[in-house]
Amino acid sequence: MADFDWPWQYKFPPFFTIQPNIETRKKQLEAWCSLVLGYQRQVKRYNLDVTEAQSSELFYNKQLNRRLSLEAIYIVLDELKRRGNLEWKDKNRKACTLIWRTPAEWGKIIYNWISSKAMNNTVCTLYELSNGEDSEGEEFHGLDKEILVRALRSLEAEGKAEFMDFDGHEGVKFF
Amino acid sequence: MSRRPAGIAAIKNKNLAQAKYKDKGTELAETQFAQMGKQMEMFKSNLEDFAAKHRDDIRKDPEFRLQFQEMCASIGVDPLASSKGFWAEMLGVGDFYYELGIQIVEVCMATSKRNGGLIGIEDLRRKVEASRGRNSQPISMDDLLRSIKKLKILGNGFTVHKVGGSYLVQSVPGELTLDHTVVLQQAQENGHVTQSSLIQMLGWEEERAKRSLDFMVKEGLAWVDDQSGIELSYWFPSLIPDFSNSSS
Repeated sequence: MADFDWPWQYKFPPFFTIQPNIETRKKQLEAWCSLVLGYQRQVKRYNLDVTEAQSSELFYNKQLNRRLSLEAIYIVLDELKRRGNLEWKDKNRKACTLIWRTPAEWGKIIYNWISSKAMNNTVCTLYELSNGEDSEGEEFHGLDKEILVRALRSLEAEGKAEFMDFDGHEGVKFF
Repeated sequence: MSRRPAGIAAIKNKNLAQAKYKDKGTELAETQFAQMGKQMEMFKSNLEDFAAKHRDDIRKDPEFRLQFQEMCASIGVDPLASSKGFWAEMLGVGDFYYELGIQIVEVCMATSKRNGGLIGIEDLRRKVEASRGRNSQPISMDDLLRSIKKLKILGNGFTVHKVGGSYLVQSVPGELTLDHTVVLQQAQENGHVTQSSLIQMLGWEEERAKRSLDFMVKEGLAWVDDQSGIELSYWFPSLIPDFSNSSS
């Protein structure tokens, strides 16, 4: 991906070695966390498979011939979890969801869009929202369903939407 | 021939001559003094004329500024000595260096997260220039070194290390010994060193190389890389030019 603005650390070989000095490591992990979130945001990915990630450009800089070891990847992911930016999908910690924007923030974006389209008081299906033609070009277009549901739940809690489920068809009504 | 004691007239004559010499001497000294004063006056006005005439050059052209500084230094005038002196009024140079000092502190603080408080002078120069905006005059290395010297008044926070042909500016307290500077010098070429390269290049004992490197890691100046081969290599962010605009 050519247009991603890699931080300077990505071109700095020791960045791929977990640092022994605690202060330096703190800076290193901070840089890794913002790199992972920034990268995911750029490629619009919400989930991360640890096995796959090992050989993705995110953790493997081919030009430098440096990669983050599996152990180190887990250290970074644990740090993201501690910051509330990550949730494991399974007990074995093989896959996770990266939360680079909270459900409430997503909810707000969706609600603003609905308001701008004067679609309040109408019912939409979830598919329409995230994959419909109307939402093309919007940030939440193609949003992971699980995250979408959570975003709508947070709107529901604010009294701005109501979640509906009829015969397996999920929809939402905005107020 | 028998010697006679000197007569009264002779003594009087002698005294008179002495008094006359004295008068002449004072007269001479006075004219010399007056002449000197006049020369000084002329020198000052010439220097002022010069400064006023080349004011813009001095402010804008780093090369010229350096030459002017050197000229002043050779005749024992320090244009930076006071921001209230006539130099500051004439040129605003006093303010120039104080302003620069503040910008240097700002850049060093903003980048210390990255480099552990050690920055190459060329990097510093580029960042200071960027922070001054596009339309301001260029800054030379000499300007930076002069400003940093002024910053010393505030305590021992800022130190300049000569490393090879360049300088590193240290903005955090902490004693870098000669050994550490030598390590930096070795690392300058490609940004990193290994323990065995130090032993080989400098003829150091293993213990000495290890102690220096451990210290640099402990101070946050060096990062460790375990993927460069059989032994660890040590990298110094401060030696790698930083072209990013953001400081984080």
